[in-house]
Amino acid sequence: MSDTFASDSAESLGILETLVRPAVSRAGEREAESTSAPMVTVNGLGVAYGSKTALEGVSMLIPERRITAFIGPSGCGKSTALRCFNRMNDGISGFRISGGTVLLDGQDVYARGVNVTALRRAVGMVFQQPNPFPMSIYDNIALAVREHERGISRSTLDGIVEQALRQANLWDEVRDCLTQSALSLSGGQQQRLCIARALAVRPTVLMLDEPCASLDPISTGRIEELLLELSADYTIVIVTHNLAQAQRISDKVGFFLMGRLVEFGDALQVFEASARPETAEYVRGAFG
Amino acid sequence: MSVQEKLRSKPQWGSGFGQFACWVAAAVVSAVCLSIIGYLVFQGWHSLSWKFFTTDPSESMREGAGGGVRVPIVGTALLIVLAVLVMFPIAVGAATYLSEYMDESSWFTRVVRTGLEVLASVPSVVFGMFGLALFSMPIFTFLSSSGAEGASQAFGRSFLVAAIVMGVHVLPFVIKVSEESIRAVPVSYRRGAHALGITKWRSIRKVVLPAAAPGIVTAVILGMGLIAGDTAIVWLLLGGTTTMGASNWWAPSQFLQVLRGTGATLTTYIFFNSPAGDGNSPQLAYAAALVLVVLVLALNVIASIVGRRRKRQGS
Repeated sequence: MSDTFASDSAESLGILETLVRPAVSRAGEREAESTSAPMVTVNGLGVAYGSKTALEGVSMLIPERRITAFIGPSGCGKSTALRCFNRMNDGISGFRISGGTVLLDGQDVYARGVNVTALRRAVGMVFQQPNPFPMSIYDNIALAVREHERGISRSTLDGIVEQALRQANLWDEVRDCLTQSALSLSGGQQQRLCIARALAVRPTVLMLDEPCASLDPISTGRIEELLLELSADYTIVIVTHNLAQAQRISDKVGFFLMGRLVEFGDALQVFEASARPETAEYVRGAFG
Repeated sequence: MSVQEKLRSKPQWGSGFGQFACWVAAAVVSAVCLSIIGYLVFQGWHSLSWKFFTTDPSESMREGAGGGVRVPIVGTALLIVLAVLVMFPIAVGAATYLSEYMDESSWFTRVVRTGLEVLASVPSVVFGMFGLALFSMPIFTFLSSSGAEGASQAFGRSFLVAAIVMGVHVLPFVIKVSEESIRAVPVSYRRGAHALGITKWRSIRKVVLPAAAPGIVTAVILGMGLIAGDTAIVWLLLGGTTTMGASNWWAPSQFLQVLRGTGATLTTYIFFNSPAGDGNSPQLAYAAALVLVVLVLALNVIASIVGRRRKRQGS
């Protein structure tokens, strides 16, 4: 862990530059491009766990190849909404959709006969606590690839593993120790490994549920940099408690409060000219 | 009381005494253990020799003529291997089902869990009786041999029969420890696998079970210790003898005959040569007891080494 921290510190000056780059310039860069088509369309989504309502009347269009951030206080439904996109809520007892639809590229993900494992390939997920498998770095990435492509050749697999690690900006750090246990990596490296693992199965959407919550600022900065790079090719949805992070990297922001989506719009507008008073209060830190 | 007064006040009466009482209890346990091992060593050490390990037992009633433990050692090893083969797939399958698939609120769950508790409390001699009654039925002749009464009953006593009953006897224990190991695998591993589009069964096969493997192996090794030490089932179901039923038992061509035949283990040898048995060589019984204790101790040490490796992997 200490080795990585030393090398992280050397690059920290460059990363800090990213951290302090004002939100205006980021959002401004994107505005010039044409608005992208929605990858995920949510229409009046309602979710309940048993008798308890978790989400009600949530509607939004998540644009393709942009970063969308869900913000809001704890327990307001951000993570529940995220888990609806890849149906990870299915395993939770008492879960049911009480209304509305979730469309991925026009397809209803809750339609009868949907191949849930294929859905989860297309919509990858990275969790708050890094959760690499207790295996080698190589096997962590190769496992899911082998499951989806039986009989894949070793050389093809090597290529996929390398590409995934390069995409996650982890290749240079681990290229010589791929057979080492993934648990020996630092927290930030483990989280990047989890991102690489998700990218290896070639998703269209990448979802991250507070991915930097357990990481130090340097590791956080590296992951934010990584997400900015990845957003050129992937639709990214990130749940975050860190308002500054949302301002730094997101194009669109959704503010959740008590199971409802209070406001959804361009990051600049939500943070600096909120349409709703609750949003304005939250982003200035009055509660949450 | 001021803070200073509190700091200077005497501790409650009895806390020192409580500690002493616990120490005495631990000392009693240690003393009992060491006495048993010490007595075994004292009584049995001089009977241990190369001849002891390489000759077969004899059923002579002459004092001290009990013979060596070659057959009993082979018998114990054979029984352990066969019983583990019988028990292992069932134990892992049941433990996986209980941990990963079972719905804790259903009536079926309650039946299974109660059943396991009942099975765990059945004494081994009762298992032996049941095994004898069951495997004496004519359809089970293939597991032992035809009885003395002709084809109307199977003999019902053989390594195969003893292994099956022994495997069932240790099932509840191995299932319990295996289930705990599987449950101990962090939920985050399962979630991570599901989120990658890996099905539930494949996640269990490729992530959960490998992670739980050290714990499951520990459970099996401890089960092997239980198998090695059981007497009632073996005495009833291995023919109550100290020799191998099959002639030329060491020949590979005779292997099936050996499995279907009677035999001896360390425990039956000890029983036979003890004052309670038909033999008359208590010194040899002590020597065999020492060998058995060392064997079970070795199994427990291996189990704890494997268990410690699991802890290191998990961090």
